[in-house]
Amino acid sequence: MTLIYYLAAAVAVISTAMVITRANAVHALLYMVVSLLSLALIFFTLGAPFVAALEVIIYAGAIVVLFVFVIMMLNLGAEVTARERRWLQPKAWIGPAILTAILFAEFLVVVATEPPAAGAPAGVGVKRVGAALYGRYVLGVELAAMLLLAGLVGAFHLGRRVSSGDEEDES
Amino acid sequence: MNPFSALTPMVLLGLTPLVLMLVISFHRSHWLAALISLVGMALPLALLAGTATSDAPPLAPLLIIDGYALFYIGLLSAATMVVVVLSYGYLERVPGNREEFYLLLTLATFGCAVLTASNHFISFFLGLEILSVSLYGLVAYLRTTRTALESGIKYLILAAASAAFLLFGMALIYADLGTMDFTAMTSVLAAKTREPSVLLLGGFAMVVIGAGFKLAVVPFHMWAPDVYQGAPTPVTAYLTTVSKGAMVALLLRYGQYGGLLDYDSVASVLAVIAVLSMFLGNLLALLQDNLKRLLAYSSIAHLGYLLVAVIAASREGSHAVTFYLVAYFVTSLGIFGIITALSDERKEADEISDYRGLFWRRPWVSGALSLMLFSLAGIPLTAGFVGKFYVLTAGVLSDLWLLVLSLVVSSVIGLYYYLRIIITMYLSAPADPSSPLPATRRFSFPEGLVLAGLTVLLIWFGVYPAPLLSAIQAAVGSLA
Repeated sequence: MTLIYYLAAAVAVISTAMVITRANAVHALLYMVVSLLSLALIFFTLGAPFVAALEVIIYAGAIVVLFVFVIMMLNLGAEVTARERRWLQPKAWIGPAILTAILFAEFLVVVATEPPAAGAPAGVGVKRVGAALYGRYVLGVELAAMLLLAGLVGAFHLGRRVSSGDEEDES
Repeated sequence: MNPFSALTPMVLLGLTPLVLMLVISFHRSHWLAALISLVGMALPLALLAGTATSDAPPLAPLLIIDGYALFYIGLLSAATMVVVVLSYGYLERVPGNREEFYLLLTLATFGCAVLTASNHFISFFLGLEILSVSLYGLVAYLRTTRTALESGIKYLILAAASAAFLLFGMALIYADLGTMDFTAMTSVLAAKTREPSVLLLGGFAMVVIGAGFKLAVVPFHMWAPDVYQGAPTPVTAYLTTVSKGAMVALLLRYGQYGGLLDYDSVASVLAVIAVLSMFLGNLLALLQDNLKRLLAYSSIAHLGYLLVAVIAASREGSHAVTFYLVAYFVTSLGIFGIITALSDERKEADEISDYRGLFWRRPWVSGALSLMLFSLAGIPLTAGFVGKFYVLTAGVLSDLWLLVLSLVVSSVIGLYYYLRIIITMYLSAPADPSSPLPATRRFSFPEGLVLAGLTVLLIWFGVYPAPLLSAIQAAVGSLA
């Protein structure tokens, strides 16, 4: 378990370093997916399978895919095809692919050694997370709702399309 | 006692934005939105009088509603009411939707209330984020102007970075102490079974960075002048008072009663921050020609003064912090209020040159503004003097001579730029008759009432501080 943890941690550090050093946004995002996946594996080895699943579904799955889509849509134009071809060169995907392969191998090892090896902490399951969230920490959930409301209102106001005659001095 | 009845002020503060949102979705009306936010802030304020004496037990485990929290919630709601009145006149002059402003404002105050009552890292962080996220929207509210967007983005990026520091610090502290509950943390720290680990001290340092950003103390002050200048003036008033006040309340609660300041390293880091803030804030303010920028630097210096009393870590110190904060609230709201009320559609009255000859045109306004500037400078018979006096007393009683000396010397430097503004007001008016006079807008009745009230409070707290002081002693007494 320790070896798996350190390997996943190394992958996380390397991929995050790549995220902040890549000049091309799409390359950086690929590494970001890898970084989030390795974090999920770390959570899993620490005994939090639910958090690991959330990490994969929400961060790696939903949010980053959204990023990729937005960035691709923003670049609509004549040279899109050419750029797509450039992106599909091995240079772009070989790094993330190797790191993901390491993670995948680790994942297989973890799954194969069920029941968990000695030394692995006791897992915190969905039930315990839910009981904590909606029992002891229910006020926290309420506060998080207010936080989302604040974000929503701010985004609505700042992102609203300017209608004619509404705000004249539009730049 | 039902633990939820203690939450009533908090629930009312949280309901205000929700009611406001429902009303906006059916009927957009600027005055109605302003009225609802005023009532929403006034209701908890009225209820505080009833609940302030009962020392409620901590609401397991996120919030603690004691007399201290209630005092600060009252202070923050009152300040928000002043900001609402000022915003009404300000927003009437700008195009676009106005109602969302009040939605964000009341949400931000809710976040502040959570901060002052938080008893756990979770509520600390969530409260801070509610405040920050609402402030992004408020700072950039006039989204078609370049400066507002620029300052909004500056605030967004720096606040997000500081939130990352804060979270990392919390994680480190949790890794070392095994708890995120402040009460539990206090007892673990008070036991002092071992030397503080590097992990714990690193965590404290990162939390100080996160808090320091919100307080805009040196060296985390870089955002303040630009954001102050670019944000709408009522929002600047809010940033200076409510958002900083909530953070100071939290810092006082856990710096002093959480045993944080028992660590010499934490105390000395805060001392360095305080000295740097006092000197750098006052020295850089000397160079400013824009009143909002000048007040940003002055605010940095004032937070430095406040930190002196926080570091004193005594009963007198916490009284001094709270009194100073109340005085600073009154004064800052007054000054930014006058700037807001004098600005018109053509121009914000935020250059010092706009105030040239103001006395000959508007003797009452310039008189009130002079009093407020005197209060910031700490001249006797104003609230600012009494506040500074208490801070100095607290510093002297705790033998913080270096800090006290820095406070005195930097206050003298600060006197120069406050007096410079006052002198400008009493100079003869600019001779050029072709350009229209700046800062000529007539006050609306509510604005005049609020500004007159603030001026009266300023003098009252300066001449007869005893009632306020005994209220503060009762409130802070519930902490220990």
